[in-house]
Parts: sequence; structure tokens; C-alpha cells
Amino acid sequence: MQWAVIFKKEMVEYARNVKWIWVPMVFLLFGIMDQITTYYLPKILESVGGMPEGAELNIPIPDPPAALYMSISEFNMLGVMVIALISMGLIAGELKSGVYELVLSKPVKYSNYITAKWAGLSLLVLSSVFLGYLGGWYYVNILYGELAFSTFIVSFLIYTMYILFFITISVFVNTLVKNPGLVLFLSIALLIAITIITRIFGHILSWSPGHLSSYVNEYLHTGTMTGDMWATMATTLAIIVLLLFTAVTILKNKEL
Amino acid sequence: MWEELAALNWALIAPLLVIELILIVVALIDLSRIEKANGPKWAWVLIILFVTGIGPIIYFIFGRRQ
Amino acid sequence: MSLIEVKNLSKSFDGEDVVKGITFELTPGKCVALLGPNGAGKTTTLRMLAGFSKPTNGTITFDEQSLSSDIRNYIGYLPQFPVFHNWMSGKEFLIYVGQLSHLSKSEADSRADELLDRVGLTDAKKQRIGKYSGGMKQRLGIAQAMMNRPKLIMLDEPVSALDPIGRREVLNLMREIKKDATILFSTHILNDAEEISDELLLLHHGELVEQGSLDELGNLYDSGKIILAFQDNIPADMEEKLNKLSHITDIEFKKQSIEFISSDVIASRAEILQLAVQNDWPLTKFEIAKTTLEDLFMKVVNQ
Repeated sequence: MQWAVIFKKEMVEYARNVKWIWVPMVFLLFGIMDQITTYYLPKILESVGGMPEGAELNIPIPDPPAALYMSISEFNMLGVMVIALISMGLIAGELKSGVYELVLSKPVKYSNYITAKWAGLSLLVLSSVFLGYLGGWYYVNILYGELAFSTFIVSFLIYTMYILFFITISVFVNTLVKNPGLVLFLSIALLIAITIITRIFGHILSWSPGHLSSYVNEYLHTGTMTGDMWATMATTLAIIVLLLFTAVTILKNKEL
Repeated sequence: MWEELAALNWALIAPLLVIELILIVVALIDLSRIEKANGPKWAWVLIILFVTGIGPIIYFIFGRRQ
Repeated sequence: MSLIEVKNLSKSFDGEDVVKGITFELTPGKCVALLGPNGAGKTTTLRMLAGFSKPTNGTITFDEQSLSSDIRNYIGYLPQFPVFHNWMSGKEFLIYVGQLSHLSKSEADSRADELLDRVGLTDAKKQRIGKYSGGMKQRLGIAQAMMNRPKLIMLDEPVSALDPIGRREVLNLMREIKKDATILFSTHILNDAEEISDELLLLHHGELVEQGSLDELGNLYDSGKIILAFQDNIPADMEEKLNKLSHITDIEFKKQSIEFISSDVIASRAEILQLAVQNDWPLTKFEIAKTTLEDLFMKVVNQ
């Protein structure tokens, strides 16, 4: 009941500050722009000219899985930045501005407060990522060749874990520091650190969430879920639960 | 060159333009509705309209924070 | 029976003691002023009671704590500078915090209307809070503190930042609330404390230097000051006559009056009135001066 009240308040807020419009639109843009520009790049270069006579344009046309993965690459770069920007004030902003004094002087369970905000943000971001990824899949089918809808859906579900993982990192950092700018910096730094560590020690840390993006790529090409993929998703889920639990404990014991 | 461009399939590119248009319109409406922007409003109008592609996004992220 | 019992409550930030072991009880139905100069530890004390700040030492016990361990079920809190979700309307915000306090949607809705009416915001209830004036926000802040029908309402400097009209409105409102709940409010303004409170907690440098009702404190610090005022000029032999009386010190002559301190007010009163009759003094006033809160405050703070 109390959880639903906070969740609903987050939804209304996202509607009033037009996040429900611009975030999906931005992810749609990220999701389709590479497919379009890559497809037209040779034509555009040709028409602009400047190529020496007889030189051959050799830009390989990606196959459908690679073409769809271009959406994921954009999400991993620009998308992550946008997610970090919209989540940096989720809790830290309320602590800094002082709204928390009115909200948390009510008998609000800290676990409700954090998980409802986490769920609201996740719904907004995942809907947006889905829309963008769907747009990307649509263009892949038109421009690069057919790719099964089921492959698209399963790859999205794998990627969902990665997005949730990053959102949870940001929510966790939100309870650590009060300064939204610092939250932004720390959550991105943490994600980069995990990616680098996974790249270096990947052979040992075969279940690290840092593998999720490359698993999306692998799945798009092979169409099979490996044991490592399942294990990584399970590990990620466990880390998400653990981070949320820790965030609740931190906020509960925090000197506000 | 123009013939080449005309050969582009505009039906494929139109969605990009539509998204951009939606973002610009929503940003302008939102800017007119909020009490105070992060900086002078007229500057945001310029950014939304003339920073190609990402003007409205810049506004949503940095312009309307309170 | 006390509503809340605070024992030996202390708080230090980075080794600096802000609140130094204060002990007090709050009686149900009273309006208690937490009075003290800026930096005395008033806000820190209130924030510990509201649960935002963990005491370094000491205990806070609510008499109904056996019912639920969450003290926030019984309190309403208004910080010194309340910040709202400015995108909500006043009524939306009240319903939101009401539901957070486990009221149903319809209960919260009717309670919100009732309180908006009580704090005089009915006309503005659909307006966005971002457009409210300072006084309106303060009144909405009081309304939100009352949504869950708390046993104890804590207000941190509720009137200090308001203009005279806003101040008057909020003080009247507090007088109303007194009927339903115990009020603990902090202030550094003597008049506000004097005007509305039944009891005082005098805080200075993190220590509770005095506590009690206004009358009790007044008696405790009675100065023994006596004032005589005369119709015309002071009779010439006054000084000589007064000097002969015991108990009297610190005689101060003014144009048409004399002030002095007596160590035994009752005895001095008899002697002086007798002298006045015998010598036919043109007295217009004989006063045993009450200690004002300001005297008390200065006295305590300067000790």
C-alpha cells in the first residue's frame, strides 16, 4: 500500500516533468540512428564526392545481428549517460533539497522508499530502452535483413539485466553521497571499473555482470543461451538484490 | 548530388525527423510552462531550436532542473 | 503521565557537543517552547526526536512505544525551512503524506480538505506549491504535520521567518492545534514563547538551563524589585528614609519614580506603605515588579 503510493507518486512526477515523453524519444533516437546512418553512409559519401577516380568504397554492410547490436552500443555509451543523469537526484536530490524532512518524518519504511523509487525509475528506463531497441530491430529488418522477433525479445531480456544492474548501482550510490553530481560521477566510474575488471579478469570472473553486453552480442549471433549466460544473469540478479538491501540499510542508519 | 539525395528513401528517414520534431515541440511547451529555467529562457529557446539533434535533450537534462 | 520522556540526551558532531545530556518530559496537551539563542541546539534536539539524527547518548521514550516501535506514527514534524514537491498542488501533497501515514485514499482526501480549510488554504488547494508564498508554505507545513493526527507536533522556528501577519496567523493556528495535540516548538524569540507556551525549556549552549511553566520560572527568578511612582517630584527626604530601612539595596532615582531591590518584599511592603501614610507621600504607584521573560532569559544566559 505505502509502496504503491510512492511508486505512483514517482510515475506522476515523471509524467509532469515530461520524462515519460522525452526519455523514450531519446532512446528511440539512440536505437535507430546508427542503423540509418550506416546504411546511408556509402551513398552519402558517394554523393558528396571527393573520392579519387576508381577508388572503391569498401564499407562492409553488417549482418542483421551486428546491425541490431549497434543499438546496444549506443545504449551503452549515450544511454548509460542519460540513465545516470536522470537517476542522480533520485534520492540524493531529496536529501539535498530537504524534501526528505517532510516525507521521512512520516512512518515511511525505508525499504518501501528505496525499492518503490527503484522500480519507478526502472519502469521508465526499461520502457524507453525497449522502445529504442524495438525501433532498431524494425530498421534492421527493413535495411539489413530478417532477424527473428524471438531473438530480439530474448536478447532484450538479457540486456534488461544489464540496465537494471546499472540503475541499481546508481540507486545505491544515491544513498552514499548527497551530491547529485557526485552520484553521477561515482555510478559511471563504478560501471567503468566493473567493465575494465571484467575485461582483465574475465576468464576468472566468468559470471560478472560486465559480460552481459557481450552475451547479448553472442546470443544475437548464435541464438542459444549458454550456461554462463544463465549464471551471469543469476549473479547479476543476486547483486541487484544485495545492493538494494545494502542501500536500505545505509539510508536507515544514515545521519540525515 | 540532389538526384542522389532524392533517391534516398525518405520514408525511412522521416521517423528521425518526427522524433526530433516531437522533442522540440515538447521542450518548447515545457519551457513555457515552467516557472524558472536554469538560466534565461530565451537562451534555452535558441538551444532547443538551433542545436541540431540534441538541443531539446540538453534542455531536458540541464535546463529544467530546480 | 508524560507523553514523551527524554533522558540524558546528547549529540556531538565531529567531537563538538551540540546537545549536552538534556533531560525533560512533555505533559500531554501542553504547548512547550524550546527557547534559546541561535546555536543552542534546538534544531538538533528536535531532529533527534523526529528520528533524523541518532543520539550520541541518552534515550527518548514515547509512552505508547509499546504499540509500535516506529515513533513517527505519533509525531508530526515541521522543519524550519520546509521543502515540498513543488510540482504538486497543496492538496495532492497532503494526500500523499497522508497515505504515507497509512490513511486510505478517501480518508486522506477528506482529512486534507479539513486541514486546508483550517489553515486557510482552501482557495489555493489546487495551485502548485511552487507558487505559494512563504506564509502559505508554512501553513501547508503545519497542515502536513497534522495529517496523521499526531500526539506530538514539533515545529522548528515556525514563525521566525514570517512577516507580522503571517506570524499572527500561525500563532492563532497553534493555539487551535493545542486542543488536539501536544506542541513542542523551538524559537529564539521571547515574545512568541511568552505569548503561546504553557511551559518553557530554556536551552543554552546545548544545556537545558531551566524548565517549568512561565509562572514557576517567574517566581524562581523573582528579582525582588519594587517600584514607587509619585504624582509630582520625589519628596526630598525620601533617600534618607529609605536608607534607614533594612532589606533595601540598589536604590535608583528616576524623575518621578524610585526603583530598588528588597531582599524581603513582604516586610518592605508593610514598612513602605506605612511610611507613605505617615508622611503623606503623593504615591501614584506601588509595584512589585514581575520578572519578564527577557529578564529571566538574560539572567540565565549570563550566569
